[in-house]
Amino acid sequence: MAEAVAPQVFTRRASGLVRVMSPYSAFIYNILTMGIIFPWVFMQAPTAFQGSNLVLAILFAFLFELPIAMAYVWLATALPRSGGDYVFQSRVFGGGFGFTVVFGFFVVWILQWVALSGWLLASVGIAPMFIGLGVTTGVSAFTDIGTWAAGANGIIIISVLNAIVALVLLVTGFRNYVRFQYVMWYAILLSFGIVVLLFLFTDPGSSTASLDAFAAEVDNTSNFFATASTSAAAAGVDFNPPFWLIGSLLAAPIAWTSLQWATYSSEQGGEIKNAHVFRNQAFIMVGSLAATAGLLILLALAMQKGLGSDGILVASSGYWYGVGEATIGGNIMFPNFMAMGLTGSWLIVLLIGLGFILNSFQIVCNCYIGTTRIMVAQGLDGLLPDWFARVNPRWKTPVNAHVAYFLAALPVIWAFNKVGDWSTKWALGVTFANGAVMVLSALAAALLPYRAKKVYEASPGAGYKVGNVPTVTIVGALGFLLGGFMVASFLFVKDLGLAFTNSAFPYMIVIGTAVFALIIYFVMRSVKASKGIKVEYAFAEIPPE
Amino acid sequence: MAFWKKGKAGAEPTRLFYACDIHGSEPTYRKFLNAAKFYEVDALIFGGDLMGKLLIPIVRDAGGTYRARLQGQNHHITSDGEMKEFKRVLQTLGFYWQEMDPEEYRTYEGNQERIDGLFDVLAKERLGEWIVLAEERLAGSHVRVYLCGGNDDTDEVLSALDEVPQDRVVNAENRVVPLDDEHVVVTVGYSTPTPWETPREKTEPEIAAVIAGVMAEVPDPSRAVFNFHCPPLDSSLDTCLKLDASVWPPTPLLENGQAIYYGAGSQAVTDALVRYQPTAGLHGHIHESRGMIDYGRTPAFNPGSEYGEGVLRGLIVAIRGGEVVGHQFTSG
Repeated sequence: MAEAVAPQVFTRRASGLVRVMSPYSAFIYNILTMGIIFPWVFMQAPTAFQGSNLVLAILFAFLFELPIAMAYVWLATALPRSGGDYVFQSRVFGGGFGFTVVFGFFVVWILQWVALSGWLLASVGIAPMFIGLGVTTGVSAFTDIGTWAAGANGIIIISVLNAIVALVLLVTGFRNYVRFQYVMWYAILLSFGIVVLLFLFTDPGSSTASLDAFAAEVDNTSNFFATASTSAAAAGVDFNPPFWLIGSLLAAPIAWTSLQWATYSSEQGGEIKNAHVFRNQAFIMVGSLAATAGLLILLALAMQKGLGSDGILVASSGYWYGVGEATIGGNIMFPNFMAMGLTGSWLIVLLIGLGFILNSFQIVCNCYIGTTRIMVAQGLDGLLPDWFARVNPRWKTPVNAHVAYFLAALPVIWAFNKVGDWSTKWALGVTFANGAVMVLSALAAALLPYRAKKVYEASPGAGYKVGNVPTVTIVGALGFLLGGFMVASFLFVKDLGLAFTNSAFPYMIVIGTAVFALIIYFVMRSVKASKGIKVEYAFAEIPPE
Repeated sequence: MAFWKKGKAGAEPTRLFYACDIHGSEPTYRKFLNAAKFYEVDALIFGGDLMGKLLIPIVRDAGGTYRARLQGQNHHITSDGEMKEFKRVLQTLGFYWQEMDPEEYRTYEGNQERIDGLFDVLAKERLGEWIVLAEERLAGSHVRVYLCGGNDDTDEVLSALDEVPQDRVVNAENRVVPLDDEHVVVTVGYSTPTPWETPREKTEPEIAAVIAGVMAEVPDPSRAVFNFHCPPLDSSLDTCLKLDASVWPPTPLLENGQAIYYGAGSQAVTDALVRYQPTAGLHGHIHESRGMIDYGRTPAFNPGSEYGEGVLRGLIVAIRGGEVVGHQFTSG
């Protein structure tokens, strides 16, 4: 026997599949989708769960999301195609289930995020930036623009323009978005970095003085911080709460509303290069999760250093308790806004503002990107009319699905800003609905080796086992249980979601969206049957033997 | 009664199942054959690209063990059970394999002609087995399976379609064959030139000439189902990345740092669909470009392909009186 060789694969001249989005682009996409500069947990948790620890809450959310993200790595490598959650669930649970869950709880509910991104753009991006520019330059027109942008009509107009610009960018070619994403990425990183540094290089005493001066310029008030603190205390804020471990655990679902999007790139798995390679998906999903959790923790530590607990509580009271005295120019004190108040430089204000504006814009883009890919997959499967699945020959994008989603978003944008109890009644189910999709996909991962055996066996993750149990079953089951805790908390914990108003109405809305999706499923099934086609064929796995 | 019922409109449609680009995948082919019974169709039409793309040398090591490389990972195979499992995975992925000694392995290293020869031998052997399997599976049924090659298949391998005795299997390659009492299947397996320089590529005029040749045998184009491997140009059924063919393997061309999408289909196919207005156009070739588009009254489809995951992407089409009355993409 001759000496051993390390054999290589033999190839021949045959055509191959090439994709457009690099793993690094998908990694960035996930981080931007998680919205590192929109940390809701900072705004809600300090007052909703007084005594909770922000860093601990983020760590809990990271640990709870970790098995879910790992489960998605197995799913995304086994089924590297566009439509992500819909594909995973329809293959494992069946088409009726997959369509109902993903259409009802993702496609319908993400319309809420389209409206929210417009609100963020106006309220957290444009308004603070112009107010900050007004203060730092002394030009009152900037302040007027900022004030207009924070009003209901300003928000609606900005939201619609935001949606239109995203629509145009995306329908004229996905590569346009991929290219622009790099601009957004670096601008957002710069903005985030500046905010962190501003907090790190100050202290609570100095920041209080700076915010007082900033508020005096904007609202012509004096002693802003002292007044806001008094009002916050009157509203129920305890400025010396004892540490509350359970509160930190209950705050984790809020942090999870950001971190859960670490897997969103799976919706366009068909466009990611080498999406079937395990380490690529691990980098894209688990890597982006770890990076974002790290950045959020860094921001939490920086805010603690620069603002102190009192500053964080005052800012949070303006958002969660609606304490008017704890807002400046009618704007909630998001971290970026407070950071603007700490600087006297118009350039720094501009750089911070641009980052927030671009991240707001990125959110509406990812709403479109994810949901239109799902709609195309559902259209091709015959569960939505063919029209949704048509790809424009010139631009190579699903123009019809994009336009349909834009039109569907318009009434939601209007309601979000004009219906007084929209956020506290109609739209309370959004965190539950979106989370439920991801938790059910984790369950799909757990069952993948048993319900889609051939797909699993051909996947690169099939080699990983603990004893005789597939590793994906373990991480999927763990993700389902831990994610189930989050989803259940959105259902039953008063300060986290559907239970907020002690009314059955928000629950009825959630059930309504599921029923709506189920009705579409049965209508399409019936239409197809009348043409001699069984829609169930789209998902049924043919036995090879 | 005729006033209320128009001719044969109420008759049962002919239901066909179409798939393509399975590239040597054994379970995917077996699913394709079983699709006849599973989807209750009357005909199975395959749209080309039967051959696998990779050949895995399994090299004997000292001590009776084996070494091989798969999906970027080195495998050390130490038992019969491991070997059986390894080959099963290769079958699913559509890869060929050959056990060999290190000395034999070295004779292939850097010798593409010799590697291509081994590909042909193994692929032809597998195609022969597939034809026999089809005959066994479809024996006693009315279902026929229409097979042809695509641009990735070699003529040497496709010669098995004529050499192996067949009853249920129809060699549809570049010819017109009956589908039912009123429809025919017209097949053209070539593609336009690709950056991969695959075995069966033709220029646009050559493809147009082949289409004109087979269409000359079609009495009524409106009753023809086009089984053209290459999709129509710029149709959304042919969208893929533009590649730099000057390097091997071809890599994406970049413009301002970004990859460029383009249509890799055939203008001759577009012209034929527009001119002849057949019952339907069935296409493949571009795996990632699943979809449909209309050319006048004619819908054209590409079901895409995911053979590597053992998934059979396909399309059920119900036709009657020269019209598509229903369709369903499948993922089985």
